[in-house]
Amino acid sequence: MNEVLSGLSGGFGVALMPLNLFLVLIGCFAGTLIGALPGIGPINGVAILLPIAYSLGLPPESALILLAGIYYGAEYGGRISSILLNVPGDAGAVMTTLDGNPMAKRGEAGRALSISAIASFVGGTIAVILMSLFGPFLAKFALTFTPADYVALMVFAFASLSSLVGKNQVKTLMGAAIGLMLATVGIDANTGVARYTGGIPDILAGFDFLVVVIGFFGMAELIHLVEQQISGKLKLLPIGKSFVSWKDLMQIRWTMLRSSIIGFVIGVLPGVGASVASAVTYGTEMRMAGEDRKKFGTGDPRGLAAPESGNNAAAGGAMVPMLTLGIPGSGTTAILLGALMLFNVTPGPLMFEQRPEIAWGLIASMYIGNLALLVINLPLVGLFARMLTIPQKYLSPLIAVLAFIGVYSVVGNPFDLFLIIAFGIFGWVLRKLEFSLAPIILGFVLGHLFEDNLRRALSISRGDWSILVSTWESIGLYVMAVLIVALPVIIGIRNRRKAK
Amino acid sequence: MADRLFALFALIAGGIYTYVAFFIIKAPFQYDPLGPETWPQVLAVVFLLCSLYVLVRPDHIQFALGRSVWLRLLMLVVMLGGYAELYEPLGFVISTALFCCLLSVMLGANRLHSVAFGCATGIIGYGICDYLLGLNLPEGLLAPFL
Repeated sequence: MNEVLSGLSGGFGVALMPLNLFLVLIGCFAGTLIGALPGIGPINGVAILLPIAYSLGLPPESALILLAGIYYGAEYGGRISSILLNVPGDAGAVMTTLDGNPMAKRGEAGRALSISAIASFVGGTIAVILMSLFGPFLAKFALTFTPADYVALMVFAFASLSSLVGKNQVKTLMGAAIGLMLATVGIDANTGVARYTGGIPDILAGFDFLVVVIGFFGMAELIHLVEQQISGKLKLLPIGKSFVSWKDLMQIRWTMLRSSIIGFVIGVLPGVGASVASAVTYGTEMRMAGEDRKKFGTGDPRGLAAPESGNNAAAGGAMVPMLTLGIPGSGTTAILLGALMLFNVTPGPLMFEQRPEIAWGLIASMYIGNLALLVINLPLVGLFARMLTIPQKYLSPLIAVLAFIGVYSVVGNPFDLFLIIAFGIFGWVLRKLEFSLAPIILGFVLGHLFEDNLRRALSISRGDWSILVSTWESIGLYVMAVLIVALPVIIGIRNRRKAK
Repeated sequence: MADRLFALFALIAGGIYTYVAFFIIKAPFQYDPLGPETWPQVLAVVFLLCSLYVLVRPDHIQFALGRSVWLRLLMLVVMLGGYAELYEPLGFVISTALFCCLLSVMLGANRLHSVAFGCATGIIGYGICDYLLGLNLPEGLLAPFL
């Protein structure tokens, strides 16, 4: 406990430095703006702004604080278009439309926005508190991990990913494999052998992380937006003067608490992020409501608070495995992890000891950021709502311009510009085929770590593969991996039998 | 149908990847039990199995897009390619102005607005990125004036 307190006080020392405080506020503000833009979710926002944040020459902890601010700011902002337009910014915001939009249609948009802001705040804050309590212990536990354990951990991460993300498990696994395969391109660090470079000098060092991210999450999104080209005008509902009441808060207090905890736990699972959390919390609340469940979907405050607390808590929870194990908990944290690697910081169990200013600084900044988001969201919601009226015809070109600036300013190689276009087209096709793109980026980020640990484990055992199951930690992880894949299948078969 | 087609492509690409993993990649000498080829071999097998599964049991996916949508996407890709090609020779300001202007016209802006939008993005964008944020952007034709 002492350790947590001293860590936190050190963290606040970092987070309250004028530059970092400024960056938290800027990040939260920009994140909310981006999250409010129709069609652009947190992952796209972080992807597009990552290279710019990188090339600003900030110290790693400051850059991470900025990017994390954008991340949870965008989780906040995503609800605005869900409520006012019935258009979710990303998969995590879909559930918010169910009860948020009906409230706005009744003329209670102000109430819906303020309820969801408070629910988001509660979710985000509970997640940070849980993170500061459990993070250091998980990190300490992870310190004992051998390379073989890491291999098991990675297998578990991909198992939970393919079991819980996307419609088609095989496609999720295939996406992860694509990411892992992309990571094998370039010179192998151990032997100096070039793999899959096709003699092209520009990719001898492998695909740049930024290029892959911008391609899959910036350009693919742009192509998607142009394909959809929201024709005609979307009807923006007026915000009005209604506001959250004390009665509302009393009605949703347990909903928020439950959803935050569930959301956090789901967020911690590797690979599973906000979209699963919001769906699960919504379903749970509906079941808890009993007779009242008919009100869900017609503008019930509980149906609005549950997914908002859930997805913000999951966004925080997803940071835990990233900071403590070096395994990202979601697509967006995979991008943050890649960002840390760009700064030559290796996230993982040692970070709490060796780079406390990054680990604790980030955690402390999240306390501040959540509070800041609540404060700027309640009065300024009208300003953010205006972002929704930016016409697509101007927004789309700007996405391309930002993506180009980002990629060019970091490496300065025009070849990369063509690469992001190619990745963008590839990503768009995959999206059309109902692939989820997050597994690709997770695979890409974890590729080297996975391979290196496997090779290290086998060189420790001199080629004996049984080392992979030689510790209890690894056996436990493999068992969990099997369970997480098998359980949904078994439950599915059972339900079908019951239905008969 | 779209899924099957994709799976077919995936099999071909995966086949090439597999061939390279098993026959081409070789380390001249190595100390570790696992060389540079083992990991790609593992991935290749997983990927091929997944592709086969999708080929045998594809999802029903509507990929049909109207001709105007295909045309719009084609134009978008051409414009992006042109933007990338001209990024360094013309410099950020001019290439961005051109690109933004053309794309916004295609997406339905009127000419005057799109020209204003393009020029504003090019100039203000350069101002913010170069002078305020200190990022490195190509100067191109306007190098003597910037």
